Amino acid sequence: MSSQPLPRKPTIWETLTNEKNFKWTLLIPLLLLLAIFMLYPLLYSFYFSFHDWGMQGAPTFSGLNNFRQLVNDRGFLLAFGRTLEVLVICIAVEILLGLALAMMWNREFPGQNVVRGLALLPLLVAPLILSLLWNFMMDFDFGMFNQILQAVGLRKVYWWAPKMALYTICAITIWQWLPFSVFVLLAGLKGLPKDVFEAAKVDGARGWYTFRRLTLPMLTPLIMIIIVLRSMWLIRLFDPLFGTTRGGVNTELLDWITYRTAFVMFDIGYGSAMAIVSWAFTMILCMLMFRQLMKALKPKE
Amino acid sequence: MRKGFAILVCVLCLVALVASTAAAQAKFGLNDIPTIKNKKALNLIIETGENHTKAIPAIQEFTKKTGVQVNVERVASSGVYGKENVELMAGTGFYDLVYVETAWTTEWSDYLYPLMDLAKKYDPKKEAGLKADLAFMSPSILVCGQAYGQQMVLPFYTFDMVMWIRQDVYDDPTEKANYKAKYGAELKAPTTLDQLHKQAAFFTRKKGDKLKGQVLNHDLYGLSMQAGAYQTNDETSARLWGMGSDWVTVVRDSAGKIKEFVITKANKQALKDAITEYKQDLQWDSPGALTANFDFVVAQMGNGNAIICPTIWANCTTWANGILQEKVPGGKIGMYPTVGGHPYTGAWSYGVSKKTKNPEAAYWLVRWIASYDCAKIVFNDVGLPPGRIDVLEDPEIHKPANYYPLGMVADYHINIWKATAKDVGNYWYFNTKAGGKVYDMQIYAVSKALTGEQTIDQVVAEITRQTLDLTTKFDKKYKIREEK
Repeated sequence: MSSQPLPRKPTIWETLTNEKNFKWTLLIPLLLLLAIFMLYPLLYSFYFSFHDWGMQGAPTFSGLNNFRQLVNDRGFLLAFGRTLEVLVICIAVEILLGLALAMMWNREFPGQNVVRGLALLPLLVAPLILSLLWNFMMDFDFGMFNQILQAVGLRKVYWWAPKMALYTICAITIWQWLPFSVFVLLAGLKGLPKDVFEAAKVDGARGWYTFRRLTLPMLTPLIMIIIVLRSMWLIRLFDPLFGTTRGGVNTELLDWITYRTAFVMFDIGYGSAMAIVSWAFTMILCMLMFRQLMKALKPKE
Repeated sequence: MRKGFAILVCVLCLVALVASTAAAQAKFGLNDIPTIKNKKALNLIIETGENHTKAIPAIQEFTKKTGVQVNVERVASSGVYGKENVELMAGTGFYDLVYVETAWTTEWSDYLYPLMDLAKKYDPKKEAGLKADLAFMSPSILVCGQAYGQQMVLPFYTFDMVMWIRQDVYDDPTEKANYKAKYGAELKAPTTLDQLHKQAAFFTRKKGDKLKGQVLNHDLYGLSMQAGAYQTNDETSARLWGMGSDWVTVVRDSAGKIKEFVITKANKQALKDAITEYKQDLQWDSPGALTANFDFVVAQMGNGNAIICPTIWANCTTWANGILQEKVPGGKIGMYPTVGGHPYTGAWSYGVSKKTKNPEAAYWLVRWIASYDCAKIVFNDVGLPPGRIDVLEDPEIHKPANYYPLGMVADYHINIWKATAKDVGNYWYFNTKAGGKVYDMQIYAVSKALTGEQTIDQVVAEITRQTLDLTTKFDKKYKIREEK
């Protein structure tokens, strides 16, 4: 009579790496980090948005008061509207200009590596430093731009005039982030299948038609990715304001008013309510974009 | 006879020597600090900027004497409140010495040791030691650093506002004659708003016009102000206080005890008038003023682009003068009280955090920073005016050769403190626990009116609403209400 060996207990390593658990083994550290650094602050902020708290004593429950106050807060509503404006302007310009530059740089030309290398520079500088530099360059009396304009006999421009300052902020932001769109789209263009374009050429398709019917549809997923990422970053736009207008001259955006309320005036409850609204807005926008991205990625018949 | 005279002279010299030594000893110095057993290092903030860097060696003298390490963190003035507030509220004790704009003293008073308590505990001369040194300081600056009658902080340097004019331009015979011909009055530093406006208009000139008989190669502005979202509230305070008003009225009972805070109709009207006047002034200023901070005003004055700065911190005078001397040969700044004679006042000061791990050393460092020797270095070498009258009265800086600019800066402070002393203690900032929060709120609110983002009426209503809200939330000691 032979005795059957008892099934061996799997080692911890085997348990972690078996087919059933492996995906969780990989995911859990990341989920833990996300829970600690993202979910916990978010829930904490959510909690404070229903309370009054100035960092002194215990928070007092205030129900929906903070949100009610937000709806009637003209400053917040204006900041919200301006953020939308910045979002639309920056993304539209970055995509259109980025596409144009990517198309231009998608061909061989002398000095191409130097041009592409230099174009990356704005992305390598800290946004706060850039905003301080732009502030100096755009000063009305001492700034470089106005000195150049005067040298060629033109009038000085007040780049930070109340009706213009928001567009100046947009220009600084676009200047810094345009290379991101250019290089993402350039990579996309480089990866497009050549045979499709050759076939179109044989069939007599011309430039604009080829661009509209082939290039653009094939780049759409990348464009959607740029829109999603830039939307998230632009809703949080902060640095260009810190070094220039500090939210003055009609440039107060969502992130700035939230920062000012929560960390300058230390009205944590009200600031948290602003942060929650800003977060919800970002989530809704990104979910809508993500659906479009998924649609664009779906293989067509 | 001759021998008797010689003896008399010797005796007099001896008396003078003893008297001067005694006077010198009365002033607290490093040698008065007893041995400190607790050697735990101290952390404090010093503002960024080249001038402030020059003050660091004076602070390091304390380490040499006591053996207590002092770690200095450099923070821009606009970031000080946020950084320290978090540490104080969380009770970390990270900053042993708390750097305080005096308008925040009452707000932070729960987190700071009253200095007399520390003197009682650590000073061999007890409270008398501290009191003796306070006698040399400006009473009005000391009041700004008190909370409910207790001295919480001592001044590092003061930031009273001033009106700058280009004195060389005001003294120029051609300009004087032209002004008299146009307005029928003498050209002298303005003391009324009407004079200020006339002179601002008079000096606003285009490139190609003349100043002091010389053709201008740039536009010239009558005024230079800082209307950006940085510290517009200080300029507004100077206007409000100059009108005899304030942001909020501190109501006291017959015994002088605070009863409540009221935003009266008169307060609101004065605020409306102050902002209206400020906005009107912008027509004679560079468009750049709308995003400007004090560095812009200093640059405008220093480069000869502006003639009058109606409200600027007097501690910027030596800095602006340094640039002016370099850029405009013969240029000279004159210092005068802001219109109404009640400029924004106070001092960047130091207090001792209740959570410090070394209160003894922290107390002595605060004393050293506010001492005669340290203040003299900070004034003479750095140009930052201290809160000490004895340093400002130093005969050396009042000699004709040294009078400009340090003697002038000193005299301005001594005189303005005398003129405003009776009013300072009743200004709302120095009596409320919501001072810091409301201060920052006002910056943005006023700026919005100046840039046209909101109407003046909207801004006055907004400031009223937020002052009520923030004070109710953060000052539980006194009630605030609005007079409808």
